[in-house]
Amino acid sequence: MAKEEGLQVTRRTTRYSASNNAVEPTKPTEFYKPTLNDLGFRQQPLGFEDLLSCFPGRSTQVLELLRLLGPLNSPMFPVLVYGGPSTGKTSVTLQVFRHLNRPFVYSSCVTCYNPRILFESILNQLWFHRKNSGHSYSSVKRCERPSDFVNYLREASESVIDNLKGNSGKLSSKLSGQPNGTMVYLVFDNLERVRDWDKSSTILPFLFNLCDILKMPEVGLIFISSTSPDTYYLNIGYLEPIPLYFPDYTEDDLRQIFMANQVNRKLYTSFLDVVLRPFCRVTRRIDELSAAFSSLFKKYSEPLSDMEVAPNEDMKRRLFTHLRPHITTALNETFQVRSQPLLKAETNQETKKKNSSRMSGIREDFDKMDFHMSTSAKYLLISAFLASRNPATLDASLFDSTGVSDSRKRKRKASEKSMEQKKMAEQELLMKGPGTFPLERLLAIFQCITSLAEDSLDEEGSDELTIEGGSGGLMSDVLLQLSSLCNANFIIKGGSCPLEGSTRYRTAVSEDLALKVARSLKFPLSKYLYRR
Amino acid sequence: MIAMLRECGLAHKTIIFVLNEFDYFAQGKQRLLYSLLDAMQSVTSQAVVIGVSCRLDVDQLLEKRVRSRFSHRKLLFLPPSKEDTERFMEHILSLPVDSSLPHNYTVEFNARLKKILSDERFKELINTYLSFNSTIGHLVRFLFQAVSYLDLDVGFLSLENFKTALSSMQRQPKLECIRDCSILELYLLVCMKRLEVKEQNSYNFNSVMTEYKSIHDSFQTSDYYARNVCLRAFEHLLQHQLISFADNRGHNQSVEFRPVKLLISLAELHQGLKSYRLCPMFYLDLIKIGFWILPLVQACKLHKIPAFDSFLVCYVNYYCCGASFLPLKMVKVAFSRQLS
Repeated sequence: MAKEEGLQVTRRTTRYSASNNAVEPTKPTEFYKPTLNDLGFRQQPLGFEDLLSCFPGRSTQVLELLRLLGPLNSPMFPVLVYGGPSTGKTSVTLQVFRHLNRPFVYSSCVTCYNPRILFESILNQLWFHRKNSGHSYSSVKRCERPSDFVNYLREASESVIDNLKGNSGKLSSKLSGQPNGTMVYLVFDNLERVRDWDKSSTILPFLFNLCDILKMPEVGLIFISSTSPDTYYLNIGYLEPIPLYFPDYTEDDLRQIFMANQVNRKLYTSFLDVVLRPFCRVTRRIDELSAAFSSLFKKYSEPLSDMEVAPNEDMKRRLFTHLRPHITTALNETFQVRSQPLLKAETNQETKKKNSSRMSGIREDFDKMDFHMSTSAKYLLISAFLASRNPATLDASLFDSTGVSDSRKRKRKASEKSMEQKKMAEQELLMKGPGTFPLERLLAIFQCITSLAEDSLDEEGSDELTIEGGSGGLMSDVLLQLSSLCNANFIIKGGSCPLEGSTRYRTAVSEDLALKVARSLKFPLSKYLYRR
Repeated sequence: MIAMLRECGLAHKTIIFVLNEFDYFAQGKQRLLYSLLDAMQSVTSQAVVIGVSCRLDVDQLLEKRVRSRFSHRKLLFLPPSKEDTERFMEHILSLPVDSSLPHNYTVEFNARLKKILSDERFKELINTYLSFNSTIGHLVRFLFQAVSYLDLDVGFLSLENFKTALSSMQRQPKLECIRDCSILELYLLVCMKRLEVKEQNSYNFNSVMTEYKSIHDSFQTSDYYARNVCLRAFEHLLQHQLISFADNRGHNQSVEFRPVKLLISLAELHQGLKSYRLCPMFYLDLIKIGFWILPLVQACKLHKIPAFDSFLVCYVNYYCCGASFLPLKMVKVAFSRQLS
């Protein structure tokens, strides 16, 4: 089941969606009632060899997990599966349960983002309750406190285990695909999120000690976390779970993973020979590598007319020289998902038959903004950037009423002391970051800039867009725009100034982005930037 | 509750309140503790409050009014002695004779177990383990791991099981994290270490980038990547918890400006780099340069030794005290940079 996109994007069918195709929300009476079978993995059971071949490079971890889970009906210590992101922890755990066909309850601390939702999700699954519109999406029991959770969990587990025990004797259970054994396993995924919760100081020790508190050997606990156990510092003595480490993939494992499900293996091998080593120096995470490789492979196989061909040495060399300029650009970008017009622009450029022009063409595409913003939002962003960058005392001289600014400093001979001061100031700028500004200053700068814009438009005499009624058209929803920019993290809302009590804002955009925005508006940003 | 206590007192029933993880009750306002202890003193009741805690100083945490009602009796529970531990292990590992398993098997199993437990190598192993952690809970976990290594075909415990369990207990998470990092991430860690050595107490991503650039300029490395790629590597390091933010102001600033600090020591970084399979030796040298030469050059400046030769004399002297040698070219470059 290893896909090319990496193990994080496995098609993990939920138990409900796998087992029923007929939940129609329009008919309120027909709701799917989960049964005991849903605690197991409702797909074809997986053989041991298949399990190992699904996960190249993970055979030691699979064997260790099987060893810790033990034979059927053996009690287990809590296990903490940890490792970097996208190393296959969740998928290995779930596939092991599929192979063993034992009942388990899965809950992720990403979707269950506070204790109540976490507890209720587990209890819902154990009581075979599915939230539906029939009882207005409520859980089977309201459970907020850990003490209630322990009691309910004990009840629920006991009933499930009785069910399992009752059915395990009958032969028909094996035929109907019921899970094996008389133990129930609780899987907690993404445990590192719990550290950021409000009540993490009580919930984390509670979860780790759940084994002791519950005192039921028929319930097994498995925690999955992407940070190592020493990041869970707890003050009280708790039962440390047995750690199971998933190291990042080595290069050979990566090669095996990428080679799986490839149509033309020889071609892809030669491709990997070229790109794998340099990219592994930057990152070894498989999701980032696969994103980079998929686009690169398209470029690699462009000159080939026939995709099925197995390349010989000569062709490999040709393909490599074709790909080489793209590798360096690809190494320096992260997750560039090209939209359609950019691709077309590239094909236009290829007809020019000059390597250098193609390179500059690509760079030009980077200079354009690749998302849309309204004009007033763009002006607001620029004014925020200026407000953060320039000291407040300079505003008067930069934005005077004539709309003409002259911020070019006269070139003075730089003395030694001023050079040092410049260096210190640069250091400070690096450390402190962009400055804060109050709302009034932002609006004042915005007014000046937009009035400038109108003037320039009037001068050009363009009849494209006439801004109605002075700046009224642009000012109307500035505050709305401000809050949407804050939500998009372009502007960060800081604490209030202790003297005045008004909130202060701070820009969070880089200079490149501000320049891009300014260029799209044809606004001379560099004239207004204060250069020390 | 007071009424209930009175009732129980009249009925001559003693109540024992056991408060586990007592230090958690001692957080905050301690209302529960106060009312409980108060109720015991003021009502004719027979009740005892026993608090259980891991902290030795938990009675220092109590408020004055609570502490005055506390009888100051403390019972200290020590970890079990070695003999007790051995008896405990034998008891917990041997199979009960009257279980459902065949009798011959249990007898054989217990006999083999006894042999292992009295083996000298096993005693040594257990001593190593106990010096690391001697609590019973941890010991049970260790024994569980040993049992899980039991070879089901053989059916009996062997010394190898215990050995493998011990080696799997001795892990070093930070070292594993470093081995997981890519080369660019290691590079960033080395830059941060050098900044620390230069006694720049607070630094953020931008200062790390300047250091990165300066290393690239002076040493002409091949690993020079764009800023956004370095930012992504930086975020990976944050996720691995090898570095963390030094301030608590949270989300008032973007990632690039928040000060960070290293969560690993120089020794760990050094060890991690050495055990990294494909690590360029260059990084080790970079750290060594930062660590040894910079203070050396600063010392030379103090004594006003301008020439490189005399510096080399100091260098050799210093290195005779046990540090490792570096290629001469690197020494020259670092020296010239420092003096400029």
